[in-house]
Formats: sequence, structure tokens, C-alpha cells
Amino acid sequence: MREAALGPVVVRRPRRFDLSAGVWLGAAAVLLFLVVVPLVWILIASVHADADNRLTLANYVEAFSRAIYLTPIRNSLVLASFVALIAVPCGTLLAWAVGRTDMPGRPLVSALIFAAFVTPPFLGATAWIFLAAPNSGWLNRAWVALTGAAHGPLNIYSLAGAIFVIAMYSYPYTFAFVSSGLELVPSDLERSAAMLGAGWPRVAWRITLPLVRPAIIAGALLSFLEAIAEFGTPAFLLIPARQQVVTTQLYLFFQFPNRPNLAAAYAIPLLAVTVALFAVQQRLLRRGRFTTVAGKGGVRVPVRLGRWRWPLFGFCLVPPLFSLALPYGALVATSLSRAWGRGPVPGNLTLQWYRWALVDNLAARQAIGHSVLYAAAAATIATVLAVFTAYVAARRLVPGARLLAFAAMAPFVVPGIVLAIGFFAAYARPPLVLYGTAWMLIVAFATRFLPIAFSGVDAALRGVDLELENAARTLGASRLVTLARITLPMLRRSILAGWLVAFIPSLRELSSAVFLFTPATAVITTLIFDLSDAGNFEPVSALGVIMMGLTFALVAVAYRFFGGTALVQRRGG
Amino acid sequence: MSNVAGRAGRPAAGNHVTEAGKARVVTSSLSRRTMLKAGLSAVGAGLLGSGFRADGAPASGMTAEEEKLYADAKREGKVVWWTAHYAQSAADAVRDAFVARYPGIEVQFIRQTAQVVYQRLTQNLRAGVREVDVFASTDEAHYLILKRQGVLAAYKPLGVDSLPRAYRAIDRDNMYHVGGLGFVLINYSTKLPVPPHSWTDLLDPRYKGQVTVGHPGFSGFVGNWVVAMWDKYGWDYFTKLAKNNPKIGRSINDTVTDIVSGERLVGAGPDNYSLESKQRGNPISIEFPTDDAILIVSPVGILKDAPHPNAARLFESFYYTRDYSLAMAKVANYPLRPDIPPPSGVPIDKVKWYRNKAERLEKGVPEAVGKWRETFNV
Repeated sequence: MREAALGPVVVRRPRRFDLSAGVWLGAAAVLLFLVVVPLVWILIASVHADADNRLTLANYVEAFSRAIYLTPIRNSLVLASFVALIAVPCGTLLAWAVGRTDMPGRPLVSALIFAAFVTPPFLGATAWIFLAAPNSGWLNRAWVALTGAAHGPLNIYSLAGAIFVIAMYSYPYTFAFVSSGLELVPSDLERSAAMLGAGWPRVAWRITLPLVRPAIIAGALLSFLEAIAEFGTPAFLLIPARQQVVTTQLYLFFQFPNRPNLAAAYAIPLLAVTVALFAVQQRLLRRGRFTTVAGKGGVRVPVRLGRWRWPLFGFCLVPPLFSLALPYGALVATSLSRAWGRGPVPGNLTLQWYRWALVDNLAARQAIGHSVLYAAAAATIATVLAVFTAYVAARRLVPGARLLAFAAMAPFVVPGIVLAIGFFAAYARPPLVLYGTAWMLIVAFATRFLPIAFSGVDAALRGVDLELENAARTLGASRLVTLARITLPMLRRSILAGWLVAFIPSLRELSSAVFLFTPATAVITTLIFDLSDAGNFEPVSALGVIMMGLTFALVAVAYRFFGGTALVQRRGG
Repeated sequence: MSNVAGRAGRPAAGNHVTEAGKARVVTSSLSRRTMLKAGLSAVGAGLLGSGFRADGAPASGMTAEEEKLYADAKREGKVVWWTAHYAQSAADAVRDAFVARYPGIEVQFIRQTAQVVYQRLTQNLRAGVREVDVFASTDEAHYLILKRQGVLAAYKPLGVDSLPRAYRAIDRDNMYHVGGLGFVLINYSTKLPVPPHSWTDLLDPRYKGQVTVGHPGFSGFVGNWVVAMWDKYGWDYFTKLAKNNPKIGRSINDTVTDIVSGERLVGAGPDNYSLESKQRGNPISIEFPTDDAILIVSPVGILKDAPHPNAARLFESFYYTRDYSLAMAKVANYPLRPDIPPPSGVPIDKVKWYRNKAERLEKGVPEAVGKWRETFNV
């Protein structure tokens, strides 16, 4: 094995003790443990009966023949399609406005979109309950007060409501893809068209958008994937609406009466859909590189909007209004209320829920601590693993190195909820019982966000020149020493950025945590989910505000260290 | 202390008259004199301050047994308690009362719906994870199953004999005991001029889009209620209810939030959380239905492999102290001890109630959850 591991190394040196092979094999083993074993367990569980563990295909028959289980699949497809349909034009328009025009306030709009990106949709869904519950929602009440109508027009407890909320947090994906697409495309063609007399709308529609079409499609697919895998929002908005989607149905299978193996069978199509869509996306991205001859060198001149500058700016503030201003306003107001139903009236103001979360309640205090600790541990594991895997893959250090890279990227297409079912099937039973320990969540978070860390480090590694490494190797340094002394220092910023982009989503993760935690290992998100079951919206809001306060504080630190670009660019990967 | 006694000292008076008046009196074993005595003793406790209990024992003076148990529990330092009995605020109040009586022992608790805590316990047991000490569900059937599996510890809590005789020994092997008493009854918004009087009133089209209920797949109270309605009126009750397009939450306490916030007007809700909310000045009240309030006798038990066995015993024994009952009354729950007056003003034996047998729940709740999903899609 060592022979094989060292085989492809170009410069052969006298054999001596080098830990490399062991380390690489270790990384491979960890990936196997994180990615392959849980997925295999899903397959195994799906063909065993819940009642007596008999080998059977009955789970598949039950899952895909009963109307009660088929409707959620249809709902999920409708939900995800409409989310993409709203999010894509939204994200594309914003990307074009920020990246291609002389619109005022472009940095502000970018920052707001980033804030929407880090906000978990389930928190937005909670806030939208305060705003748009059919009878008690503040917007509906304001409408009734203003117009004298019998009912307000909004009903957040509906498929349309869930589509709206998820779309308001998934347009940043399209924004990110199209923005980076636009950065690659020089504006020569646009300027030619403009000189030939086309107005800016025509230029944008006929020239700019077609140039970034692959990015738009990629954004659409990612929105679709995120929406179909979203658990929190449908759980909050669709259970009261008596509509199920695949993820909420999967959750019910884990409730009473418990059907984990049926859940495994039911999860397979979700996995199939995401894998298929990801494959489509990869094809499109590969085939569709429209990069013009000029490559990177072209000049980008912003489109002059003239009198449309301010109207466009106003329009660009609409999505942030729905994803940030209104929801955060509602969350903060509720977190400061004795009873949110009474609205912002005197005597209703209190800080008691913050006191509850930070001082009085042991469970809340522990959950906050766990969230930070687990996210930090998960981000560290993901980053270390990402560095090793990316390095091994980029330098082809072991046979099948590309397979390793593939394994590191694989969790990207596995919805959190499916991964959690796999983890539960694999690690809640002997020989390796992680369930009930912090590791269950840490390992799941690390796996979920490994691809983000990996793609960042991988991209950075491709930008590193081999000369320095080769020089060190020629001078007799081992592979590990070279990595530690030469390569890592050069990648320092990317590695830190990779850590952060794994930490942030770990802190707000709900859809796998909700299957894997026990009360002793509860985190903020699972506590929010638990408290919401009895309509305890005031402490829920306080916890949400605390969680986002932590997130934004970290983002602020990151901005100070890396500037804005380090964080934003990684998203595309 | 005096505050609690003061409130508890005026039973069946003031705001609670309506509920008391409408509940049909079935038995009258608890006489007016007993009530008065109970009220007086509570007031007395208040007047005398915390130095003495109404029964004459000094507050600091625990029995030798209790002292010993407390010392052993203190060494363990912590008790882990999973409860579905009442709302978060009530669980907070119990925690506070326990810590006040037994300083030095931390209470780590979660309040969740019965089926969720049961599910988590089952998963823990299957994976061999030892985590919970004291398990308090609202579905009596859980204890039949857990007892058969042999995972409950036999223990006779101190002071359990202070319970009314009827609730003293629900399990003759002492594997579990009564830990909570409550009702599923009609909750309504005080904006309604006339509340619904019976369960069948909820089917009336005038409440279309205005009904809120919990989910039997989550809440033990709701599971109890669904089985009771099913046995009384047949499943047809729910097909009709579905036509009124109820909002379906998870916990039964969610219905209280819906009514308080004005999202819905009527619901099949709990007595405790609604009354607590009413006491805080919210526009909600309760109505004992003419076709029976559903009585929920919620057990509490200790796990055999509890990580903190002594703290677990101390905590279960705490259920039968006056401190516990006073804390319960403070957050509008029926106290377990008969010497503390009920916050609803209506003693349990004056309520026209219906109670499911545990054996019926064992088979009935899972079946009802399945049928519920067919009827309501969730």
C-alpha cells in the first residue's frame, strides 16, 4: 500500500520514514466513514422491515403506492419549482444591477443579499408567521384596520406562503452564480451593441443575459435543490396548513409511531432527484463556458441607467425588505414582548426572554454553548479534511485520488435530512454508537459542509504555483513537511475562509440536527424547533436573535480580516 | 409564598365563576367545608411565612428519609427530567421550586409533547444511551409499554400517600405514579359572546376557519382527546371537524397561542396553560364541555438505568410535597395534593369528566394517529 501510495511521486528519493501514506489513508478512511457508510446504511435500512427487521421490499411498496405518501412528493416538486421560478429572476436582476450598472448603493445591496444568505429560512418563516398569519399577522391586521375588510389578504400557512419564504432566502444563490459569471464576461459585446443603437434593456436581454445563461441555470438548480431539501420552513408553515412535503413526511416517519426504515426508502427518490439535477448542472456548466476570447483581460464598463438609477435601486431593496427588514423587525419586536399576540403596546416590553435564554434556563444556555462548540469543531474537521483531500487530489498522491475528491464533494448533493437518516441508521446502533454524544452532530455538520470548505481550498490550491513545492521537495523535504512549511502558509487565508464558511451554516443547521440530537446535545436550532411546537414564539425569537447576532458578529470579524470578497466568492463552488 | 396562598385562598370565586357554574356537578365528595379548610390552611401557610408549613412541620425540617435522600442526590449534583405534563412556564416554575427546596442540585429538563419525549426515550433505549432520570409523559400507555420492557425502576416516592386515595397507586408495582392531573376542554377567545358548550359545537359551520387543535402524533393530551371523541362519537366526528378547516399545531398548548394571538377563536385545549394565560390578562377562557371534559392522569416514573438514581428519587418524591402543589397552583395546574385548592375553582371530582383506560390508549392512540393522517393530511 505504501509502495502504491508513493508510486506517482515524480522525484524518487531514498526511502525513509514518511508519514504521508498513513495520513492520506487516514483521510480516505474518514471520508468513507462520513460519506459512504451512512449512504450505504440508508440503502440497507430501506430494505428491512421496521417491525421485525426482515429483508423486504415492502417499504418501497408502501412508500410509493399510498396517496398519503405520494401527495408530499408532488407538493415538494411544486414547491421547489416555484421557488426557483421566483428566486432566479430576482437573483439575476440583482446580480446584473450590482455587477453591470451604475446603480447607487451597490455595496449596500450586496451586503444585504449576503445577510439574507446567512439567515436560515426557518427563522424567516417564524418571523413571517408574526407578519402574515391569516388572522393575527401584523400585516393582515394593518390591512384590516386600513381598509375595513373582514380578512387580511395574506395567509403564510399555505404552499404559496412557504414558496415565498424559501424564495426570499434562496435568490442569493442565483445572485452569487450570476455575479461571478458577469465578472468573467468583458463588456466589449455590450458596448458594441450599445454603439449600434440598442438601449440598455435590449443590451441586457439580448447580450448580457445569454452570456451568463449557464450561471443562471446553475442558480436555478441550486435554488431548486435547496427548496426541495428544506425542512424547517415547511415544518413551521405547512403542518398547520395540513400540507406535507417530502421532508416533513420524513420527519413524521421519525415520530410516533416510529418508521425509520420506511423513511429510508422514502428518502431514496429525494436523493435521486438531487443527484440527477446536480449531474445536469455539472454538464451545463462544463458545456456552457461562454468565456469570450478576451478571457480575463476585458474591460468592464457599467451600463449607464440615467433616470432609472434610483428606481432600480428602490426595486433592488424589495427582496431585502422581505427577507431582512420585515422579518428581523418582527423577530426583535417579538423577542422583546411579554406576549407577541398583544403587539407593540406599552407594558408589553420586556427583556425577560433574553434573560431566560442567557441566564435562567439551563437547557437554553447549554444549547447556545453547544451550537458554538459543535459548529467550531465541525468547521475544524471539515477544513482539515478539505485541505488533505484537496491536496491529495490536486497532486494525485494516491491512486484514485479523484475518487477522494468526488467523495468530499458528494455530500453537496445529499439533502441534510437524508444524510441525517443515514447517520442515524449507521451510528445509532452498535458497533459504533455516536447517538447521544456530541460527535453525532459534529460529524454530521462536518460532513454536510465539507464540500463548501473543500471547493474553497481546492480552488485556492489550483492557484498555487508548484515551483516552490518542487524546490522544497528537491531539497529533501518530505511531502508532509512541504505541505506544512510551504503550501499551507500560502493558503492560510483560504483555509480560514473555508473554516468560516463551514462554521456559519453549521451554527444554523436544523434539518439534520433535528434527527440526531438528544436533549443532552440540543443546539439552538433544535431548541427553537422544540419551543415552536407550543407556540412559545417569544423565547424562540430571542434565541433566533442571539443565533444571528453570533453569526453576524463572526461575519463582521471575517470582513475585517479578509474583506468582503473572500466570503462571497466561495459560495459559487 | 403569601402571594400564592392568597390566590389559592379564594377558590371558586371571581373570574372562575362561569366555568364552575357550567360544569355539571356529578359527585360532591369534596365538601364545602373541606374546601374552606384547604383554603384556610393555604392562607395560614402564607401568614405564618416560610418558617412553618401548614401541617406544622418546619420548612427546613425534612424527615430523616428525605434528608438522607437529599444528601445522596446532592452528591450526584443533577437530575435530568423530561416532561410533557405542562407548558414551558410551568416546568420552569417546578424547576424553581425544586431548586429552592433542594439547593445544590441542578435540574436539566426539556418540555416536549408526549410522543416526542417517548420517541426520544425509545431511540435512546435502543441505542443504549443513558440520559434521562425522570420521565413524565401524558400518555399513560407509554408506561404500560415501558414497564413490560423492564426499563422502569420500582420506587415508592416519599409522601405519595398524601395523594387522594383514587390516585395513590395507579401501578401496584410502584413503577410509576400520578404526576399530573389535567383536562382537555374547550378553550375560547373572550371576544366570542357565547362560547361553545360541547365538543359537537366545534363542528358547527359558524366556527369554520376558527378552530385550533393539536396533533395526536405529538401531544399526549390530544391523543387522549382524539381517542375519547372517537369512542364517544365515532371517527365521523373528525371527518366533520375537517370540514371546519381547523388549524393543526403540534402541542396542545399551541392552541392557546392561537387563541391568545387572535389567530383562531375556539379550540380543544388544555386547562392549565389556558388559565395561566388568562391570569396574565390574555383574552382567553375555558369551558368544561357538557359532553365531558377529558381527564388526563399523567404518570411520572424513574428509569432503571437513570444516570442520577438518587436525584431521580428525590425529584419524584418532590411531586408529592406541598411545594410542588403550590408551584403547580401558581401556574394554574391542578395541584396533586388535596389540601391545595385548584386554580380553576372547580375540584376534579366536581367536574363532569371522562377518562380513557390506559389499555385503550395503548392500542387507540397509534391507530388514531394513522386515521388522523388520512383525515387531515398531516
